[in-house]
Amino acid sequence: MNKDTTQAELIFQSIHLIQKLRHDVGQVFKDLSDGISEYIEEPAEKDENDGGSNKDVSKDKAATQDQKDTTGPSHEKSEEHHEKHRAILKTLKKSLETISHDFSDLEKTGANIGPVQMFSNIDNLSLDPVDKNTVTHSQLLQSYKWTNKMHELSDQAVTILGQNTLKRTQSPKFTNVKKLKGNTLSAWVAPQQTVDQCLSVLNQDHPGSNFTWSRPLGGCAALQIEIGKTLKAVVVLRGLTIEWVKIKGFDETFKTDDGQIDIWSSSRYQVFQKLTHHAEAASLHYYAPTKPDLAIKSFVMWLHGFSNLFSVPCQKCGKYLQNNMPPTWRDYRNRKPFHDVCRM
Amino acid sequence: MGVSCVYMYPVPEGRSGAHVVEVLQKQVETIGGVKMGSFVVDCESYLSIMLSVSKTLQILHNTEYPASCFAVLDSGATLVADTLFNGLLSHLKAYYQARKGSKIESKGNRYQLADFVIKIGSVTLSGSFKGILVEVEYCPSVIASECWNLMKELLQSLIGNIAESPPPSLKMKMDEIYTPAMTMLQYLEHFNNFRKAAAVSQPPR
Repeated sequence: MNKDTTQAELIFQSIHLIQKLRHDVGQVFKDLSDGISEYIEEPAEKDENDGGSNKDVSKDKAATQDQKDTTGPSHEKSEEHHEKHRAILKTLKKSLETISHDFSDLEKTGANIGPVQMFSNIDNLSLDPVDKNTVTHSQLLQSYKWTNKMHELSDQAVTILGQNTLKRTQSPKFTNVKKLKGNTLSAWVAPQQTVDQCLSVLNQDHPGSNFTWSRPLGGCAALQIEIGKTLKAVVVLRGLTIEWVKIKGFDETFKTDDGQIDIWSSSRYQVFQKLTHHAEAASLHYYAPTKPDLAIKSFVMWLHGFSNLFSVPCQKCGKYLQNNMPPTWRDYRNRKPFHDVCRM
Repeated sequence: MGVSCVYMYPVPEGRSGAHVVEVLQKQVETIGGVKMGSFVVDCESYLSIMLSVSKTLQILHNTEYPASCFAVLDSGATLVADTLFNGLLSHLKAYYQARKGSKIESKGNRYQLADFVIKIGSVTLSGSFKGILVEVEYCPSVIASECWNLMKELLQSLIGNIAESPPPSLKMKMDEIYTPAMTMLQYLEHFNNFRKAAAVSQPPR
């Protein structure tokens, strides 16, 4: 840390020296371009403009001398001319000396500065001239700031949520906490035979639907349900717990081009996008870790209520269409159809 | 792909077809339809020349199914083929020849309204305006009987009592899985009606 500060000081010092050097060099060129005429024509102005530096003083001297001697005879004039030349040369010499002095100073300081240590590749990125045109570096910085902020906020959220005693899984409605601890585990790690058996029973219970399931990644079953000729749903089960639901139209598919099961893509129809949202809500509503088979049974039963999605009017408004959508909501208890906006 | 219903929308006397189309388009936009390009359904008749009893082969195209070509016989038997089928027909000149001046098409704007697709087309038979066809498609459903009531509600708000019952060619197939060919059959039926009406008003010389 201490090393860093001295480094910074050195850099600051050398920047200062560079500025001084630039100023001096600038001054030399200015003097040169002014030449002799400057001394004759505008001595007063020169006097006002320049400060108290050494060379300026000498300039002033020359200038005042100049002013005095303008009225003198011609041979004196030529001598004056020589003197002026000498004065200018003297000034120039002095300025050059200052420059060389400053330059050696700068060199000395510069030698003390060690190479800047690179912390990561991001620093290199900022040096890359090609990337100057792109915004990658600034964007990276921005996202770094965001992630930092997110960390802070999530830390705060954890503390706040930790104080909250209301937790879904510990609801006394289902069972007491003690009993729950033993059983939640079983809902997630139910053996495959149990899951298969449960699903076969479900398949028999719902003659209008077609259940198929596979285990593309081993443990979790991806269950596909076809309800009548109305919709298709994919339900990912972890043990017997519903983890993921997607609903698509009857003419859509849950298969990718290479035949793999695709649980991610959404339906292209607004109706089924809406249904997916409702089904996700329902999977949480029917969540019962102590009685996982009952949970999935009630969920499938609820889902089966959509077999008449397009053919029944809303129970409240009596219409088929509301916002150009059929009744996309089914009541959790009696599975009566309602429009999204008509449900109580 | 979903269930489609095609209806003829009558043009009242003393009003131009273009005006009625415009009113319909405004109506669709008022209920929230968003214009999504245009569409064309065209139909050409081919006559068999080898058989003693001449038979007609109708060739239809639909921009909604740009890679397909629909061939329909008098019996209603439909063949759905690639557009390459057009090239095949030119090789069948000895058997089927195009009837001149039989090209009829319905052309207009295509509107999207949630999961509905609404198409308002003006029908032209060999260049002259003949009438208006309104097609409403409900994409998520594949069974006509399931979504008929729902479609009826939208159709009636758009074209009124014309949509009292399902289109006649669809009535027999209400419980089958809907295919694009069914849409084409509905169009063909309307096109045939337009042709008949044109033949009556302009008897062949």
